[in-house]
Amino acid sequence: MKSANLNKMTPYFFIAPAGVVLALGLLYPIAYMVYASFLDWNPSQLIGEADWVGFKNYSNLWVDEAFKESMWVTLKFAFIVVSIEIVIGLGLALLLDRNIRGISALRTIFILPMMIAPIVVGLMWRYMYHPSVGIFNRTLKDLGFESIPWLSDSTWSLVSIIIADVWQWTPFIFILCLAALQSLPRSTLEAARIDGANAWQQALYIKIPLMMPVLIVTLLLRLIDAFKVLEVILVMTNGGPGLSTEIMALRISRTASEFRELGAAAAMSNYLLMMLLLLTISMFLYNKFVEQRRQKMLALAEGG
Amino acid sequence: MSIKLKTAKTTLLAFGALSLAAASAAYAGPYDEYEGTRLVVNFPAHPHYNAVMKVLPEFTKETGIEVEVDQLQYMKMRQKQTLELTKKKGDYDLLAYVVFSKADYVYADQLENLARYFMNPRLADPAYDATDLIEGYVANISIAGGTKGYLSGPTGSMFGVPFGSETSILGYRKDIFEKHGLDVPETYDDLLELACEIPKLEPGMGGLASRAASGHHASHAFLLHLAPLGGRIFDDEWNPTLNNAAGVKAAQALKTIVDCGAEGSRAFGFAEAGASFLQGRSAMFLDSTVFAGQVNDPSKSKVVGKIGWAPHPMGVRKGSQTGGFGIAIPKNAQNKEAAFLLMQWLTSKKADKLIALEGGNPSRYSTHSDAEVNAKFPHMKVFGEALKDADPDWRPIIPVWGKINADLGTTLSKILTEDADIQSSLDGVAERAKKIMQDAGYYTWN
Repeated sequence: MKSANLNKMTPYFFIAPAGVVLALGLLYPIAYMVYASFLDWNPSQLIGEADWVGFKNYSNLWVDEAFKESMWVTLKFAFIVVSIEIVIGLGLALLLDRNIRGISALRTIFILPMMIAPIVVGLMWRYMYHPSVGIFNRTLKDLGFESIPWLSDSTWSLVSIIIADVWQWTPFIFILCLAALQSLPRSTLEAARIDGANAWQQALYIKIPLMMPVLIVTLLLRLIDAFKVLEVILVMTNGGPGLSTEIMALRISRTASEFRELGAAAAMSNYLLMMLLLLTISMFLYNKFVEQRRQKMLALAEGG
Repeated sequence: MSIKLKTAKTTLLAFGALSLAAASAAYAGPYDEYEGTRLVVNFPAHPHYNAVMKVLPEFTKETGIEVEVDQLQYMKMRQKQTLELTKKKGDYDLLAYVVFSKADYVYADQLENLARYFMNPRLADPAYDATDLIEGYVANISIAGGTKGYLSGPTGSMFGVPFGSETSILGYRKDIFEKHGLDVPETYDDLLELACEIPKLEPGMGGLASRAASGHHASHAFLLHLAPLGGRIFDDEWNPTLNNAAGVKAAQALKTIVDCGAEGSRAFGFAEAGASFLQGRSAMFLDSTVFAGQVNDPSKSKVVGKIGWAPHPMGVRKGSQTGGFGIAIPKNAQNKEAAFLLMQWLTSKKADKLIALEGGNPSRYSTHSDAEVNAKFPHMKVFGEALKDADPDWRPIIPVWGKINADLGTTLSKILTEDADIQSSLDGVAERAKKIMQDAGYYTWN
């Protein structure tokens, strides 16, 4: 009896070190952040000297116009960039999923943007957007058009950071989609071809549905990333003009360093964390739901 | 990123030691006890401190005290210092602080009150002459606890010494002004008129290069105009007054300047505004004196020899900004007395001049009128004149200022880029500022 118990326990013993590392490395900082979000804590104080203010940091944020605006900017930014990136990335992958000479070189060139350090990307785009010496406005002027206030107009500046982000992160989606496409079962595609499906139909009804699980994970990864993007925007606009490009990550960083309100910054981070958690969970639930429906269909098909 | 610059260990050559002992018997005493001490100091990467680095070996040679400098990007300094200052035993013996850190550090009791050191006959040099330090700088950077809590006054005491301080100054293109027979503006009316006239006279050239980028930059530019136009952020009871007539006028001035500025001026930060002036795309520049060192450097400037300098124009009063850095001794420093000796040496008449000759920003009246300094940098004389009107109260140095400043900066950016209504926008800032002040306890006595 005893040895059977021990046997049952064995796996837990092996997992224990990893569990401890997880608790220390992952849960402790999060717990610390949650604790800090209930404090009125400025960085000149030790955490022990900070006053406990309960939910004040959280409730203050609800009436903070600047925070609400930055939340709205973040949502707008994240959904627009991820939608554009998915469309372009998937489209490119579908186009390039074939045996072209030099495809591997092409692929390497395509993923270059995401290998460049974000600060450098920000600086690069900032110079390209420069009102008088930047390449965009110089080209526009040479062609006889009016120059565009890329970074000094609140609508254009959001467009500008979206363009930069799409440029940097579309390759990420492209490369994952390409990998997914190349691992699709060839037999299904062949069957479709024999049945006379044209390229459009193959992509729409065979390839994309089969890629769904990968697409969803990719989408999720990109969304999480888009909610947290900081450096590129910091360098390009620093949130301006006005608050038009002040995404949450930037707001959090400014709250902690400029306003010296660590508690409020922690509360904002928690809101962001909750939002991302909600997004992740709903994605997983959806995935599970789709999976279950597929299983049911399969069972039905087999039964019939 | 921190650039560690270690000053080379200076071995005193027999000759050097002999000549020193002979030259200055006064120095033989005070430093003896601290010979061989190694001080660690935190300086920003900033033109003034780059000049200081060239003069520091002189201190080691004279005193035998070694100095290791940790030079950081100045926006990063505050975070690092905040961490250092909360430790039991700090690594820094002396640190340079940005002026708005004064309120936080002093309030958190993290800086040494300098009274104990200036009282100590073994440490204080009788020839120091503190009255020669520029008054506006001292009130703005050194003193805490006086009038309004952040200025000098009967209840104030000294926690640091101005070092690498700056004021605002008007730079203008002499050649352009001569070509069109223009007068250097002395008042705000002239300045604004000229700012919009120049683009008409010189197509493609902006009038005045000003910062305008969202946040700190826009707010700074607004404050530059607010004081001379007669405004203040708060009245004496801490009620926000930035939305009164003077505030609106200052915002209007900023908008006029930006509208008549060079292309892209709505997004200019300090660097872009400076570059626009140096590249010859703007005819005037109104900002910090720290900029003056670059205009005659051919590697950075296309307008070498074409720049003249004039005091900040007056509105209803004269008032140029005060800001920059001070140096202070942390409460948790390991070698406080030796650090004081270094602080005193660096801000003495002699070192102030040496640093000025290397391109630094002097903090003493005497250096500004020094013949040798004026021969090398003719603009120093104008700066010295301008400094007599330096306004230590052009911006409040209170712990919640960071938040109000950010709000003001983004609101101004909306005024500049989205044509938001000036009065109602500033009313909004005032209202939110009032709430922030209320939460921070400023109306407890009302």
